[in-house]
Amino acid sequence: MSDIHHPGRRSVLAAGAAGAASLGASWLLTGCTGAASAPVLPVAAQQGAPDRGGTLRIARPPASDAETLDPASALSAYEYLGALYNRLVRVDKDGTLVPDLAESWEPDGKARTWTFRLRKGVTFHDGRDFTAADAVYTLRHILDKKTASPQAAVLAPLIDPDRLRTPDDHTLVVPLRTPHAEFPTLLTHYNCYVVPDGSARSIGRTGIGTGPFKLESFAPAGPGRVTAFADHWQGRPVLDAITFYTVADMSARSNALLAGQVDLLSQTNLDFATARVIAASDRATIARVENGQWYVLPMLTTEKPFTDVRVRQAMKLAYDPEHVVKVALQGAGTAGWDNPVPPSDPAHISAHPEHDPEKARYLLKKAGYEGLAVDLYTSSYDPVFTPMALAYQDSARRAGIRVRVKTAAADSYYTQIWMKKPLMATYWYTGRPVDQLFTQVFRSGSSYNETAWSDKDFDALLDRARRETDDTRRRELYGEAQTFVIDKGGAITPMFADRLVGISRKVRGYAEHGFEFDYLGIGLKGA
Amino acid sequence: MLSFLARRIAAALGTLLLASVLVFLAVQALPGDVATQVLGKDATPDAVAALRGQLGLDRPAWERYTDWVGGALHGDFGTSLVTGKAVGGEVSAYLGNSALIAGITILFAVTGSIVLGVLAGLYRDRWPDHLISTVSLVGMSVPEFVVATVLVLCFSIALPWFPAVVLYGPDASVGQLLPAVWLPALALAVVMAAYIVRMARTSVIDVMASEYVTTARLKGLSTWRVVTRHALPGALLPTLHVIALNVAWLAGGVAVVENVFNYPGIGKLMLSSVQNRDLPVIQAIALVSSVVYVACNLAADLATMALNPKLRTRGRTR
Repeated sequence: MSDIHHPGRRSVLAAGAAGAASLGASWLLTGCTGAASAPVLPVAAQQGAPDRGGTLRIARPPASDAETLDPASALSAYEYLGALYNRLVRVDKDGTLVPDLAESWEPDGKARTWTFRLRKGVTFHDGRDFTAADAVYTLRHILDKKTASPQAAVLAPLIDPDRLRTPDDHTLVVPLRTPHAEFPTLLTHYNCYVVPDGSARSIGRTGIGTGPFKLESFAPAGPGRVTAFADHWQGRPVLDAITFYTVADMSARSNALLAGQVDLLSQTNLDFATARVIAASDRATIARVENGQWYVLPMLTTEKPFTDVRVRQAMKLAYDPEHVVKVALQGAGTAGWDNPVPPSDPAHISAHPEHDPEKARYLLKKAGYEGLAVDLYTSSYDPVFTPMALAYQDSARRAGIRVRVKTAAADSYYTQIWMKKPLMATYWYTGRPVDQLFTQVFRSGSSYNETAWSDKDFDALLDRARRETDDTRRRELYGEAQTFVIDKGGAITPMFADRLVGISRKVRGYAEHGFEFDYLGIGLKGA
Repeated sequence: MLSFLARRIAAALGTLLLASVLVFLAVQALPGDVATQVLGKDATPDAVAALRGQLGLDRPAWERYTDWVGGALHGDFGTSLVTGKAVGGEVSAYLGNSALIAGITILFAVTGSIVLGVLAGLYRDRWPDHLISTVSLVGMSVPEFVVATVLVLCFSIALPWFPAVVLYGPDASVGQLLPAVWLPALALAVVMAAYIVRMARTSVIDVMASEYVTTARLKGLSTWRVVTRHALPGALLPTLHVIALNVAWLAGGVAVVENVFNYPGIGKLMLSSVQNRDLPVIQAIALVSSVVYVACNLAADLATMALNPKLRTRGRTR
């Protein structure tokens, strides 16, 4: 349970590919036609303006039977958060920070103290005014050990909860323990939604926030409903209400969409066969979250043979990411070239070593691992894992690496395989700002450091980048950090994939990227 | 007769006791420490120690077992590790929903299959028999989730007559569940009926060839009377056991079908608690399933005895 740390991963953990049961309508419909004759999937959902009003029905996988509306919790019901709450800052489609409840923010000269000017005239759903006290309380709630928030590991080394200050009702001052020029990006995380002062005990049930919708009902792992909040500071949302239904099984979710019982499948990356069935239906179609999924083959750097950096380099040089994109994604994605920072991120660098099986062979020979044979674990947890593993296996053969692809049970994949087996297939949602990404997944000792990689020089480089207040120079340092990870790290990143989202043909204004979902503008046409 | 009854009930109780031991061992003897298994690798030592205390893992196994069985006899199955609610109440809410499906399934399957089985038996080797036998063979061979998926395709996606999935939680009312009950019940009934049809057909053929049926015919009774008054009671006897076994099978068969329809029943609860490693819930469900199994078999034995004079009177002749 403690591994469940981002929506993408939670989803199917609960859904579990119940082996047989996950065999859905898609299999029956496309089983005999094969992929060759398949139609091309649509690139975007229906365009145009929605009608005012209406109720959107969303099918979602449950986070857990004990899920809660507390945004800071590891078991938060993800879909509700963006509808009910706001953060201080959020991320724009091009990766830049934009105001949410904070109108502006600036550091002192050394990026040691950050001052946030908060929006005035914002009210919570219960009618109270939003002030700096709520912002302070939200940060303290995340840092509170009792909350056990996943984001605490990122924020606790930086913030002393007792030193947060509120000079006036609409100013928040955050003194940091160590300088950090990218600090506000860490507050865009979905654990950082703002809750009212003193609400720790009740927020999991009441869901009182400042967001465009207010809670009408909520049952853990059951149905729930939110209705438009007329006094929302950005104005009233297009929809009258959203009903959230919990459907654990992925094929049951697709069936509900095909039968017209729901309008949108959340946290569901459809396999190509199901996506085609949905795209061909009269009621529903496919929308994409471009490069929404970051696929990784993490090598445990504490396990042989991956303790040797030359073996890790060989594993990366040995395969062709373009081949993996073509085979596993049928082209619906972008080659990653082992850089975990997605191409849409402003900090992304495009430089990378070229595919070079001969050099891989040479490195392996020098390391004493000529003719290396490794096990690569995969599961039915996500539809792309196994095709990705097989494409890697096929491509790496040219460097003399024999990869044995092994399938593990989906329900215990993230407890028994992830961070336990030396080589496996996994994914994350993209949308983490670069510092959050490196701190959470690559820095020594982080609980989500899935390659168990620990390099003092890399940590020092991150510290230097954080301290650097010159934007251009800092971007260069994060570029160096990417080169460092590509060169020495344990994560093989073959690709970023589009997430295939099942959506009703009546839905208009669907916009989702990273962890941002536009609840304000989404609506229905002719419902 | 009384001693037979007593022996049979004692055997049932013994089976249940054995089942409870096996369930307890199977769940508690998972490889590795159960607390770490539940909490995962990242758990803090404090959390593991707290859970060990909560599960009573620091006490000897036999003591934990007697506590558990003692509690279960009073309807106390402990508290769920995930929701923190009482397991008994949770399981019974889901069990009630499953009973709705099971009841309708049994009604469909038993009446339908006996009628079809008798027809096939009476028209042995003619076209009604061939048709019924072939269809029931297909029903037997195709797994229930495929049947369920085909039904969804036909009757909720192509023809929007029934909902494809249930969108309500475990506390849904019967009125909310009723429209969604028919497809899962039909899927289960198709698979279940197949076995009963085959059995009923064989029995009817046997009985129709027996001397007392021939006698009845020679007396000049109509076919309808021969079948309903003389053949059917005899033919139903062996079928009873097959029905009982199939009703017991439902306890497990619903798991997959409920998942396809997102139906908030015992099967869905079992799946999610296995995935969450919610041990007290898994134990309770396993025990409830074995109770259903044993009860069905006991009921079948007792009914057989009631219908079969040989068994009924054995005590007296000895």
